[in-house]
Amino acid sequence: MKMFSVSHKTVFVVDHCPYMAESSRQQVECDVLTKSRGQGVIPLAPVSKSLWTCAVECSMEYCRILYDVYPLHKLINYIVSDSEFHILNSWRQEDQSTHELMSALAAVGPPNPREDPECCSILHGLVAAVESLCKITELQHERRTTLMDTAERVANRGRIICLTNAKSDTHVRMLEDCIQETILEQNKLAAGSDRLMAIQQCDLVLIHIHPQGDDALVSDRPKKEISPLLTSEVHSVRAGRHLATKLNILVQQHFDLASTTITNIPMKEEQHANTSANYDVELLHHRDAHLEFFKSGDLHMAGTSTRENGLKETITLKWCTPRTNSIELHYCTGAYRISPTDVNSRPSSCLTNFLLNGRSVLLEQPRKSGSKVISHMLSSHGGEIFLHVLNSNRSTLEDPPSISEGCGGRVTDYRITDFGEFMRENRLMPVSESSHDPSGKLPVERAKGQLERHTRYWPMIISQTTIFNMQAVVPLANLIVKETLSEEDVLTCQKTVYNLVDMERKNDPLPISTVGSRGKGPKRDEQYRIMWNELETLVKTHAGATDRHQRVLDCIIACRSKPPEEEERKKRGRKREEREDKTEKNGSKDTDDKSWQESERLKGLLDKEEQESEVIKDSPDSPEPLNKKPRLCTEEVQPPERAKGPVSLLTMWSNRITVANSRKHQEFVGRVSSVNNKFELYQQLKDENGMDVHENGKASR
Amino acid sequence: MPTVVLMDVSLSMTRPVSLDGSEEFQRKNLAVHGLNMLFEHMASNYRMEFTALMAFSSLWELLVPFTRDYNALQEALGNLEDYDKTCVESALNGVSNVVQQEWGSACPCQVIWQGYVYGSLRHSLHTLKHHGDDKKFPLPFPFPTKLFIMSVANAEELQMTDAMDNLEELLRLSGGDGQIFTMEGPLCMKNVQAMFGRLIDHAYSPFHAVLHCGNLSSDVQVFPRPEPIVMDEEVEPMPRSVNTDLEIVGFIEIADISSPPVISRHLVLPINVNKEVDEVGTGATDELEEEPSASQMAGKSPNFCVLLHGSLKVEGMVALVQLGPEWYGMLYSQADSKKKSNLMMSLFEPGPDPLPWLGKITHLGPISEAAENPYGEDDSKSPFPLQPPVKRSYAQNVTVWIKASGLQTDVQKILRNARKLPDKTQTFYKELNRLRKAALAFGFWELLKGMADLLERECTLLPDSAHPDAAFQLSHAAQQLKLASTATSELVKLD
Repeated sequence: MKMFSVSHKTVFVVDHCPYMAESSRQQVECDVLTKSRGQGVIPLAPVSKSLWTCAVECSMEYCRILYDVYPLHKLINYIVSDSEFHILNSWRQEDQSTHELMSALAAVGPPNPREDPECCSILHGLVAAVESLCKITELQHERRTTLMDTAERVANRGRIICLTNAKSDTHVRMLEDCIQETILEQNKLAAGSDRLMAIQQCDLVLIHIHPQGDDALVSDRPKKEISPLLTSEVHSVRAGRHLATKLNILVQQHFDLASTTITNIPMKEEQHANTSANYDVELLHHRDAHLEFFKSGDLHMAGTSTRENGLKETITLKWCTPRTNSIELHYCTGAYRISPTDVNSRPSSCLTNFLLNGRSVLLEQPRKSGSKVISHMLSSHGGEIFLHVLNSNRSTLEDPPSISEGCGGRVTDYRITDFGEFMRENRLMPVSESSHDPSGKLPVERAKGQLERHTRYWPMIISQTTIFNMQAVVPLANLIVKETLSEEDVLTCQKTVYNLVDMERKNDPLPISTVGSRGKGPKRDEQYRIMWNELETLVKTHAGATDRHQRVLDCIIACRSKPPEEEERKKRGRKREEREDKTEKNGSKDTDDKSWQESERLKGLLDKEEQESEVIKDSPDSPEPLNKKPRLCTEEVQPPERAKGPVSLLTMWSNRITVANSRKHQEFVGRVSSVNNKFELYQQLKDENGMDVHENGKASR
Repeated sequence: MPTVVLMDVSLSMTRPVSLDGSEEFQRKNLAVHGLNMLFEHMASNYRMEFTALMAFSSLWELLVPFTRDYNALQEALGNLEDYDKTCVESALNGVSNVVQQEWGSACPCQVIWQGYVYGSLRHSLHTLKHHGDDKKFPLPFPFPTKLFIMSVANAEELQMTDAMDNLEELLRLSGGDGQIFTMEGPLCMKNVQAMFGRLIDHAYSPFHAVLHCGNLSSDVQVFPRPEPIVMDEEVEPMPRSVNTDLEIVGFIEIADISSPPVISRHLVLPINVNKEVDEVGTGATDELEEEPSASQMAGKSPNFCVLLHGSLKVEGMVALVQLGPEWYGMLYSQADSKKKSNLMMSLFEPGPDPLPWLGKITHLGPISEAAENPYGEDDSKSPFPLQPPVKRSYAQNVTVWIKASGLQTDVQKILRNARKLPDKTQTFYKELNRLRKAALAFGFWELLKGMADLLERECTLLPDSAHPDAAFQLSHAAQQLKLASTATSELVKLD
């Protein structure tokens, strides 16, 4: 169906003239007496609906089905006509509901039989209907705006369904002529307006309603072309049940609907709760749900039955009681909203409630051969029930090469779990259209932005990464990918870095992959070098985002043990590097090297009080010259990672040495007068260099 | 999209092609040469395609049923025999049967018709008008079709007779999606190769794309080729094509995406772009020797597709992927058997909101923006499905009295509650108001009067033991109903 086919706009014009107050003469017994109460009570006389009531309730049923199956873009404008026209709603989407229409209809009330029949006419309504068809809908407006220079592709077509009691065939012709004239008039008007569109096609469906038992004064007439702009058809129907059936058929024809009857639905009996009987429920939906049957000519095989007037066909599908509630991704070639034909019958509401509660039901196509083919599924999504069409044919994609046979298929250490975690973090959620983001980006663009940030450095296999195999790095790795960091986030990142520094000092083993290298793999210091390099790579990709991101990078650069120059040297050759390592051990270490020692020393100081009783006489070499850097970097680490795990032997030993050494000399003035173990050196420089000195240990050199 | 090759084996195909100073060919030789080239190409670049080979003359025969075994197809080409004259109609009927038996009527198919003389076509088209409903012309096929007519003749030759017009008519009848290929220049091996080269470019060149997820990416082949589609000829007549950059926008749980309707399904196969893909399929011998090592190398270097597939499978999730402007699809792991599984891509219908339960795709954002994780800390919740702004009729207890039983049930419900007053006061008024509201909307005032009478009768039938409030409520309700049925629609609620 084209977006702007005749079905885009439907105008109901319902006659509200005095003669519509006439009884339909179809009686409804509404006082059904139960046996026990039967005696002595006079039952209420049956009631009968007026022509108006019949017209209204059947048109409402038409609307109900339409709104169920097409909640959007198939619009109804409801007009009532007596001595003037009353437009009950507009084309606007929020006016499109049976609730709205019912309230408006209640305000109109039944026709007033005492009104002067001379002033009343359906014509008022029909003229208004043509005018209404010229009015642009939201969708037409939106499309015209987006198409810009090809706006003329947006067509304006519509249908008028007129429920009336016509006097004769001549009367009908008069109505048609009048509509034709009005269209021409309105099209002229529309040519000069922005909010109006000329009508390109109008289908008139005139339904003549007459009471039961009366002869129809108007004869049926199939669709015929009155002019290139107007076609017309006439249906002469008795009020009541026949009118309802007629409108049900029409709604199917007008909106390409088809009917499916779900059969064999087991349901508890109302009276006897422990027995169950099988019921059938008829549903309406877009006819494409039967496409496969139509094409293959299986229609009759699939249990079609023709009922009543031979116009209505339904396809029978068998209910398969769902066994499990397992979540499965079915190959589904279509999903169509449904509307039960008999919405508040007990079987219908049982079925719809079952589905609305979240269960899905597979439907089986009965075949003569007796083979079982599941062809459809009923399932609700957010309070709407859909008939899913499942593919039951052989797949052209069967037996594909397994993914393990293709590119990258032989690799076994993918970070599957980590990527799973990544996917969870990058799940989507609906964002209200009204919420406005300051960046002006659509939510989906922001989602893509997040994916981009999260993947700037993302090694795919375990053996390619060290830091993502380390629990200790997790806090930093999670935070650094954020678009903005809070002060607290920076602090957490820095803590992570200090934690790593501490690990390195303690010489904790790293989860470096030994895949591909012979023997035990790289030495520990080499491992740390790799780890720091990787961490730096990760953080560098984000450093440009904000100053706070940059601060995390600065912290890493300041804290990592090996200066960049040395890395360069290391690359030149392993042997030479080893020699250098030896010289380093001889105490000619770079000052930067000692950032960790510094924090270590701090720790020693903290430990001092506890260890005061211990006296260590033995004196090793004189202590290394103390670092003269300001220590702002380390101050945030307090208390140094004491709480973290058991202390290694090495730590204990080095602590002792530090304590012992500290006793061998007179305490520095600075340390004595320090606050929280810190004392700012070179205070006179502060004015010259500004805060840089504090921010970054390295910058002081 | 499976392919049926329909090969004309009538005597007309044995007609020699005379070329100066070279050996003599039959048209059949040219046709076989072209098809061999096509099969070779498919074997190396399009090997997932199912192809069947049918020969036809006045009868038709399925020589090779649908297969991916291109050797078998080539072998069959080598063993063709010559028969009498052609009968187009029966051959097309044959195609229709063979395809529907194998794939049903929804699966799009490509038909390559290899032929030369189209005499019977003229006859068929001529008699088409006189066909009754019982004997339908086989075109259009029930399944979507692309008809490629490979003519072992050049355009001039076809235009000398009305053959070209007839072929065009045939193409139109088939649904118009397809093409007529003719030889350019003299009939020789080189030109038949060129003609098949054009077919390959048009319909059998592999669709290569790059799958992106932020900075992670992988070169992939999407099989079968996603075809351009037209959604609404009137508003948007230009067909939409899938981008060669497929961009993941985020992830969704399988339960949330919930078996969505898709227009097509495709395998997403990671490829190694360093390996030179020989489009025409010549020089296959060189490739055979190098291939094992090259593919082994490719198997060992990590590929994003494999990682993505593994995690999608483990987590039970799908990746939402953008295929073009306002066009999306999903990537997921599809298991063919216990051992084998693959990365698949399904295409949603183009448009901003292909799945009502997800809402507009452009309005799906990252969960990190929410104050509280919409999935809950333990994944116990989900922000999906989206609820429509208006409930459907079956979810909102609507009133329909088209069948008498509907009305009777509603009246009886009120009476049942009336007898249990004052305990059931609330339900009594709820049901009564529902009936009153509908009766007013339908202008069914007679029912209001009737209901009032019924309530008054109930009042008189109350036992002595009844609570005094019961009588009071009943007469109050009856009075109000009468008021509503006469007064000019006062919308005062009862209570």
